[in-house]
Amino acid sequence: MNASAWSMLLEGAWVTLWISGVSIAIGVVAGLLLALVRLARIPIIDQILVLYISLARATPLVTLTLFIFLSAPNFGIQLDRNLAGILALTINTTAFNAEIWRSAFGNFSREQREAAMSMGMTPWVTFRRIMFPQLMITSLPGLVNEMSFLIKGSPAIAVIGIVDLTRVTNRISAVTYEPLPPILVACALYMAIIGCLVWLQRIAEHRANRLAE
Amino acid sequence: MSETTAVSIRNLSKSFDGVEVLRDVDLVVKKGDVVTILGSSGSGKSTLLRCVNWLEQPDRGTITIAGQRIGVNDAGKPMSMRELAKVRARTGMVFQSFNLWPHLNVLHNVTEAPIHVLGKARSEAEAHAHELLEKVGMSHKTAAYPNTLSGGQKQRVAIARALAMRPEVMLFDEPTSALDPELVGEVLAVIKALSAEGYTMVIVTHEMTFARAVSDQVVFLDKGRIIESADPETFFTRPSTERVQKFLERNEG
Ligand SMILES: Nc1ncnc2c1ncn2[C@@H]1O[C@H](COP(=O)(O)OP(=O)(O)OP(=O)(O)O)[C@@H](O)[C@H]1O
Ligand SMILES: [Mg+2]
Repeated sequence: MNASAWSMLLEGAWVTLWISGVSIAIGVVAGLLLALVRLARIPIIDQILVLYISLARATPLVTLTLFIFLSAPNFGIQLDRNLAGILALTINTTAFNAEIWRSAFGNFSREQREAAMSMGMTPWVTFRRIMFPQLMITSLPGLVNEMSFLIKGSPAIAVIGIVDLTRVTNRISAVTYEPLPPILVACALYMAIIGCLVWLQRIAEHRANRLAE
Repeated sequence: MSETTAVSIRNLSKSFDGVEVLRDVDLVVKKGDVVTILGSSGSGKSTLLRCVNWLEQPDRGTITIAGQRIGVNDAGKPMSMRELAKVRARTGMVFQSFNLWPHLNVLHNVTEAPIHVLGKARSEAEAHAHELLEKVGMSHKTAAYPNTLSGGQKQRVAIARALAMRPEVMLFDEPTSALDPELVGEVLAVIKALSAEGYTMVIVTHEMTFARAVSDQVVFLDKGRIIESADPETFFTRPSTERVQKFLERNEG
């Protein structure tokens, strides 16, 4: 592989990284908000959220990406490719994250909540000071797991012409007629990205030990 | 309502799934008094205590804490969460299973509510916490996390945490029932010391010797009713009901 192939690969890796990164960042927070809203069990809104979550979880990423990109003009919106890609990944990962947060809420110790209430904490203070710091740590393994699923699923955005880390290997081999080297490098780069996540997870697990009584 | 009343419970009734667990309970706790609640398992002791700070919502009756009604506001409407939290802040509760917050060290377990509920400055809250941890014999463990403590140590921290709110009344729900026998003494000693300092306390316990030594008043619950209420001398030597006599005989040895 020559220098230009290397620089194309790195560019592809960057595209994968930033598009997934933005989707993950939005998706983690949005998932938390959805889980909180679901906690309130507001009649119609709750059913809408349940519908969204099951649809988003059941739809393949490729299909979702295509659908968003192709249907946007019908609503009079001219979607940038990258934006469409981010939207698709975010819609997908938010649904999974909402379920991860929700199950963490559901499993949170009633005793600890009662202790907080008995000390005069309002539900908001209880959430912010007692529940959230612990939920963050207990949810992190699930969240990181979902992050690596998302990154591994992200080549789906190539379907609308985004040149990500997987797609770029095609482009390189079209010129060099040697498909294997770029794919091997791409694999290594994916592994490096996921490896960083696993490392993050280790740190979280280390801190989680403290929560185990 | 007298100036000297810490807690007043009137006509309290509570059902779970149609089964009446508390029936017309009346109890007045004077400031500085220690009231112990005895009774066999399932008689409603925990429920009574949990009604006082509205962890359980009674069906009927009124509860006031230092003159402040809990659960119903001045307008006669059910209290909002915020109003409820304000009254709860004036009570301290110690649970059978300690219920410390595992992500906070000992010091921060004690300062958390004073800072985030009462709005105290960190320095002030920490000074008070050190004082209280000294009192319960835990000042050498301020930086430790709960999972490194023994049960007796956890419970003493939980007592300091509740005291940090300067509550009008301390509520103890079987504070030593989850402890290994050799750790019971250290917790009871702390509670005894508090009674000597004049704290108002309502204590559910199965420790008869302790109850006799520490109480100003002993109350016996049977199937959700108070069937006996007396000073400890009278209660333990001349109980007026056969039910209490039987209970004492069974719990003697
Ligand atoms: N949340 C609840 N839902 C349904 N029933 C309950 C609930 N809490 C308590 N009960 C029932 O109410 C009755 C009184 O319970 P409570 O816990 O007040 O008894 P207790 O005197 O504290 O008993 P113990 O000595 O075992 O702690 C019991 O029959 C119990 O099963
Ligand atoms: Mg009980």
